[in-house]
Amino acid sequence: MNADEEFYKASSSGFIKCKDGSGQFTRAQLNDDFCDCLDGTDEPGTSACPGGKFYCRNAGHTPLYLFSSRVNDVMEWEFIGFAIFKATYFLESVKLKRLFSIIVSSLDQTYIISYLDEHMDCCDGSDEYDGSIKCPNTCWETGKVARDKLKRKIATYKEGLNLRKQVIERAKLTVAKDEAELSKLKSEETTLKGLVQQLKEHKEQIEKVEEKERLEKEKEDKKREEDAEKSKAKNEDEKEVHIQDESATESTQNNLEGSPMDQHDAVDEKETAGISDTDLHAGSEVTHDQVAKPEKDASENTDALSKEELGRLVASRWTGESTEKSKEDTTAKDGHDHNVQTPESTHSEDYDASDDDNQMYDDDDDDDDDIDDDVDKSMGEDIGDENHDNDPVSSYTSDSENESDLSDIATTSNPSWLEKIQRTVRNILQAVNLFQSPVNISDAAHVRKEYENASSKLSKLQSRISSLTRKLENDFGPAKEFYSFYDRCFENKQNKYVYKICPFKQASQEEGHSTTNLGRWEKFEDSYRTMVFSNGDMCWNGPDRSLKELEQKLDEMNKEQPQSHDEL
Amino acid sequence: MSNSVFHFFLLFLTLFLHLTIVFSWKKEEFRNCNQTPFCKKARSRKPGYCSLIANDISVVDGNVNAKLIPKTSDQDSKPLILTLSVYQDGILRLKIDEDPNLNPPKKRFEVPDVIVPEFETKKLWLQRVSTEVIGGDSEPSSVVYLGDGFEGVIRADPFEIFVREKGGKRILSLNSHGLFDFEQLRAKKEGDDWEENFRGHTDTRPYGPQSISFDVSFYESEFVYGIPEHATRLGLKPTRGPGIDHSEPYRLFNLDVFEFLHESPFGLYGSVPFMLAHGKSRGTSGFFWLNAAEMQIDVLGAGWDADSGISLPSDQARIDTLWMSEAGVVDAFFFVGPGPKDVVRQYTSVTGMPAMPQHFATAYHQCRWNYRDEEDVELVDSKFDEFDIPYDVLWLDIEHTDGKRYFTWDKVLFPNPEEMQKKLYAKGRHMVTIVDPHIKRDDSYYIHREATQKRYYVKDAKGNDYDGWCWPGSSSYLDMLSPEVRDWWVEKFSLQNYVGSTPSLYIWNDMNEPSVFNGPEVTMPRDALHYGGAEHRELHNAYGYYFHMATSNGLVKRSNGQDRPFVLSRAIFPGTQRFGAVWTGDNTADWDQLRVSVSMVLTLGLTGISFSGADVGGYFGNPEPELLVRWYQLGAYYPFFRAHAHQDTKRREPWLFGERNTEIMKDAIRMRYILLPYFYTLFREANTTGVPVMRPLWMEFPYDEATFSNDDAFMVGKSLLVQGIFTEKAKSVNVYMPGEQAWYDLRTGITYKGASSHKLEVLEESIPAFQRAGAIIPRKDRLRRSSTQMVNDPYTLVIALNSSKAAEGELYIDDGKSFEFEQGAYIHRRFVFSDGKLTSINIAPSASGRSRFLSNCIVERIILLGHSSGPKSALIKPANQKVDVELGPLWLRGSKGPLVLTIRRPNVRIADDWTIKIL
Repeated sequence: MNADEEFYKASSSGFIKCKDGSGQFTRAQLNDDFCDCLDGTDEPGTSACPGGKFYCRNAGHTPLYLFSSRVNDVMEWEFIGFAIFKATYFLESVKLKRLFSIIVSSLDQTYIISYLDEHMDCCDGSDEYDGSIKCPNTCWETGKVARDKLKRKIATYKEGLNLRKQVIERAKLTVAKDEAELSKLKSEETTLKGLVQQLKEHKEQIEKVEEKERLEKEKEDKKREEDAEKSKAKNEDEKEVHIQDESATESTQNNLEGSPMDQHDAVDEKETAGISDTDLHAGSEVTHDQVAKPEKDASENTDALSKEELGRLVASRWTGESTEKSKEDTTAKDGHDHNVQTPESTHSEDYDASDDDNQMYDDDDDDDDDIDDDVDKSMGEDIGDENHDNDPVSSYTSDSENESDLSDIATTSNPSWLEKIQRTVRNILQAVNLFQSPVNISDAAHVRKEYENASSKLSKLQSRISSLTRKLENDFGPAKEFYSFYDRCFENKQNKYVYKICPFKQASQEEGHSTTNLGRWEKFEDSYRTMVFSNGDMCWNGPDRSLKELEQKLDEMNKEQPQSHDEL
Repeated sequence: MSNSVFHFFLLFLTLFLHLTIVFSWKKEEFRNCNQTPFCKKARSRKPGYCSLIANDISVVDGNVNAKLIPKTSDQDSKPLILTLSVYQDGILRLKIDEDPNLNPPKKRFEVPDVIVPEFETKKLWLQRVSTEVIGGDSEPSSVVYLGDGFEGVIRADPFEIFVREKGGKRILSLNSHGLFDFEQLRAKKEGDDWEENFRGHTDTRPYGPQSISFDVSFYESEFVYGIPEHATRLGLKPTRGPGIDHSEPYRLFNLDVFEFLHESPFGLYGSVPFMLAHGKSRGTSGFFWLNAAEMQIDVLGAGWDADSGISLPSDQARIDTLWMSEAGVVDAFFFVGPGPKDVVRQYTSVTGMPAMPQHFATAYHQCRWNYRDEEDVELVDSKFDEFDIPYDVLWLDIEHTDGKRYFTWDKVLFPNPEEMQKKLYAKGRHMVTIVDPHIKRDDSYYIHREATQKRYYVKDAKGNDYDGWCWPGSSSYLDMLSPEVRDWWVEKFSLQNYVGSTPSLYIWNDMNEPSVFNGPEVTMPRDALHYGGAEHRELHNAYGYYFHMATSNGLVKRSNGQDRPFVLSRAIFPGTQRFGAVWTGDNTADWDQLRVSVSMVLTLGLTGISFSGADVGGYFGNPEPELLVRWYQLGAYYPFFRAHAHQDTKRREPWLFGERNTEIMKDAIRMRYILLPYFYTLFREANTTGVPVMRPLWMEFPYDEATFSNDDAFMVGKSLLVQGIFTEKAKSVNVYMPGEQAWYDLRTGITYKGASSHKLEVLEESIPAFQRAGAIIPRKDRLRRSSTQMVNDPYTLVIALNSSKAAEGELYIDDGKSFEFEQGAYIHRRFVFSDGKLTSINIAPSASGRSRFLSNCIVERIILLGHSSGPKSALIKPANQKVDVELGPLWLRGSKGPLVLTIRRPNVRIADDWTIKIL
């Protein structure tokens, strides 16, 4: 029983007050199809009050308030075809009912019924009561659908809970592992730091010696030069002529190179003169030829552009794309037109079941190896890419070249690298005689190389530490359930755009070959239901892009649904 | 980046540095008058330059014919043939062309299919001319009678044409300053260099110079108006003359201008060479030159001719103008008025009345570049329902196509277009898709294949299919001048041929200036060749018009003539009003552009193009919520009410700016829906009289000088005055309310004295609008999802009594979509209130034997403003039924003012005769 039904009953004597106090009405005026209350209190069953709400009881399904704008709204029978559409002009609207039966008998029934369904705002049909349409009561069926939906929802929720449990377990392991690695790395860092320091000192000493040697050598050289100068002076006259020649050619070259630009400048001035208001008065003194000339010159400048380049340039003003980019786009588009047809059709299932068309970069089964791989990759990123922030694309190519030069330290399972270095350093320190002069060149090189080697390893190690630290600093949720998201990316194909979302890193939108940075990771919001990425690329003519990654079903780990609300 | 491109950018950079002020409008890419030889030459001529005299004046075939020859006999020059004809309603037509019998190298282009065939039936066959010697002339002048007390005069020496009140004052004249010049075509001689170059584009000009120019004077005029399309004030400012800042002439050359300025005589997307002049004492006159080549028009400031020694009647205030065109012939029309509505009627009797629009098209349109895909469409559509905001049309811009191949759908984004349209249509909503005239040069595209095979493309100067650049990349352009090409195009819109279309789909023609990204001035080369050997230069301004025409005809044809077309066009030419709506192109989201949109729409209306509007919100850039809200409030009164936005702007559907702004924008849109019965009645008025829906104040108050240059306020019909708010955080505004009668605030019913200026507080929730005392406005107060769904809803009549307690108004209703109204299937009522009694009178001609339109709609409420609040009941006749009179709200939502006298549920049928007497 609805509260409203009570409301109208309770005030059965005399006047009923409008809920908003804007007036009152009699019982006879209740639903008399005339609006007495601005809030629509008196017309819950008609369209008389704009903005009012229509109540349908919808027995068998959920009761519903409808906007009054839906009550007895007109159906467009004519839609079905121009023939019938013409016939309606000769029929009074009271005869619409008959027209309905004509249509049903002459046209595809299923279509009509689905059409009706769209029109029935109340499933019990109570909103279309003026006789022009008979709405079937579809509440039971609609209700059933809703109930099924709910059941499915519950099932997914359960499944999600299960998954969540697993993920939390896994996260615990991984966190422990990462923390262990971090502490190990830190101790290694201390050792390596010591080694590097030793090498550095050694190297510096060698360099001191070398410097000394160099200074001495310089002194000698200078002496030799002074001697040589005396003899040079004799040839001077000859040489000067030569130099003059050279400079002459140089200046003509300069002129040649400079001339087109000079011309441009001249043209600019003339053109500007033509444009600026004051000079236009003077324009009448200019002869036709003079006017024509700058045009011709200017034309040469645009001539430099091919017709196609010019077209692209002008088009780019509207599209806001750089011409190069638009070129790419066209290629991409063409590709899309011709080549991609097949993949599209194979993916068509994904499209239809749009809920499932998210593809993770990684497979779901995150065994330890995978995690290691991920770690490697992320390390590669961080080490190889200090300006990571400016280069959103690189973070995607997590499987790229970086890997090779990491192989020596990245595998935590193989600690021998440190021992190796230690051994080498010891050898060097023993072998190289610091006080020997002149310095043994090969020894010096050796020391330098080892130093470079060790210090680069140190910096890699340190950046690994900092990346791990940074990783662990992140907010992975109350039970760290998002830990495994750290090195993963998610793709969501929304028609021609591919949205790539790497939690804790960044989000981007790809169209063909062009990538737009939608934003860098900022935080979770909305009790871990929303991921916020901010400071994306500037929208053309607008502010920074930003993306809120809505995870509608947080617990449903197998179906993260990055609903991108790109707020362009 | 290639070296050359780099150089180009350097050049650009230096240019900007020189200019110091950086406009986004690329001024230097467009020719100015000095870079346009015919314009420069014409501007440099001094009054009295013309030496022609009219000779051999005779009456032939009901016309007056004459030959124009140089006074000092010059062996070389050939005479020009002059023809003067007279039409009903005081219209004088002047044609001047080369003598076809003297074998000119080429027939000069006359614009076909603009003058409506009915106009020729209105021609008055002249029997004779009378003669009269004017002043100290050596030759007598010839005088023809135009009717209604007006005469046309050909003065032989010096040659001059003018229109005057019979035997008296001049109204309009041509060549009074002797600036007439007509460059006749001639064979190219050795050494002639006719080529013109502009920014890398060469115009071969194979026929050489062929321009025409002349001066036109408007007498007893204080302002001139018209000649769209420019972003300028309503009253056209002088472009030359003493004390006037140097200015370009008003240019008429259809161009796709990127980020146009809000105040500039520069030519935009459309060209209507029709000028109106108005003054308090004489009234209104008009001059129209049917010519589709580039035109430049100077409005000359007083005293510009001070040194010329030419003396025109000095007791008459006058505005002189100089008209210059690159090619074509003189085919000019003089309209005598005398009232503003007379001139508009006279002009539209030549170029055609505005088409009766689809009813849904008069409601609110939601557009953006681009609604991405079907999901997006569904989401936006459902949001309107969620917020209970009505809208009628959802638009799809270029991205909906498969690679900008029009008539196709992107299969990924729009896999089920028919279903999508049907879903919208189930709520009474329609869809519009874009179809542009550039055709992608792709052999797998059927349109291109057919057009190539049939040789339907415009040709370049060498005779090959012209290959330009537009959205799809390399593109060719259909030669819409050719009736055969248009017929072929018409077929493309059939439901079979346009796959994925349904009867609820309508069309948008963009880029039809035509826009060519790599062409000179972003358009087609002037030496491109059209049907019949016409050069593009001769018909440039009409190209988009023919395209619009063909598209519109396509929609008529697809329904076998049952369904009115709806086609929006960006390019404009005289006659565009017969084929659909227009909008003012790519404006910008700033306050100045909001302001100039009013004069732009008003100007279009004055020149017959009634169904027009500007992009609500501004196309480029992101409007502040306040600007967007103000734009909705104003745009709700544009005849064409559409929100549109550039691809790179933020989403700006009305629910995205907080609850409060959503409410206000919803209110603005609802205001339009409530007033739709009034608007539709005005569209019908435009359709029968040419008088625009949205009018300058002076059109309704032609004797009130305070209105002549007012373009901050405007009239919707004759009963509604709207004042725009064009500044941020405005606190108060001065509203001038013309006329003797009072004005009722549309929202509150509060009255304001007429013929005075009122300083009003500016409210956030609405812009000032007023109902004229003495007017009855029909409304439909119920809220629906779309206008289509309102068809059976009852009416409210709002009667605003004048000082003699009387008022009247009209209501026109038809089926809103077919052509049956042309057969009389409509309801047209006049409501008259006087002596305490409201009478509904049928003013439709009796429909015996013709189609009828029936409606069961009733009147649910009658509101009386300015009536004493005593009465308790009213008596309906002939039903002899008493109904309650009570105090009620003026508006059902958010009523702000005091309660007003309301006749409750009279429930009389709108189609019937009845009276209601207040007891």
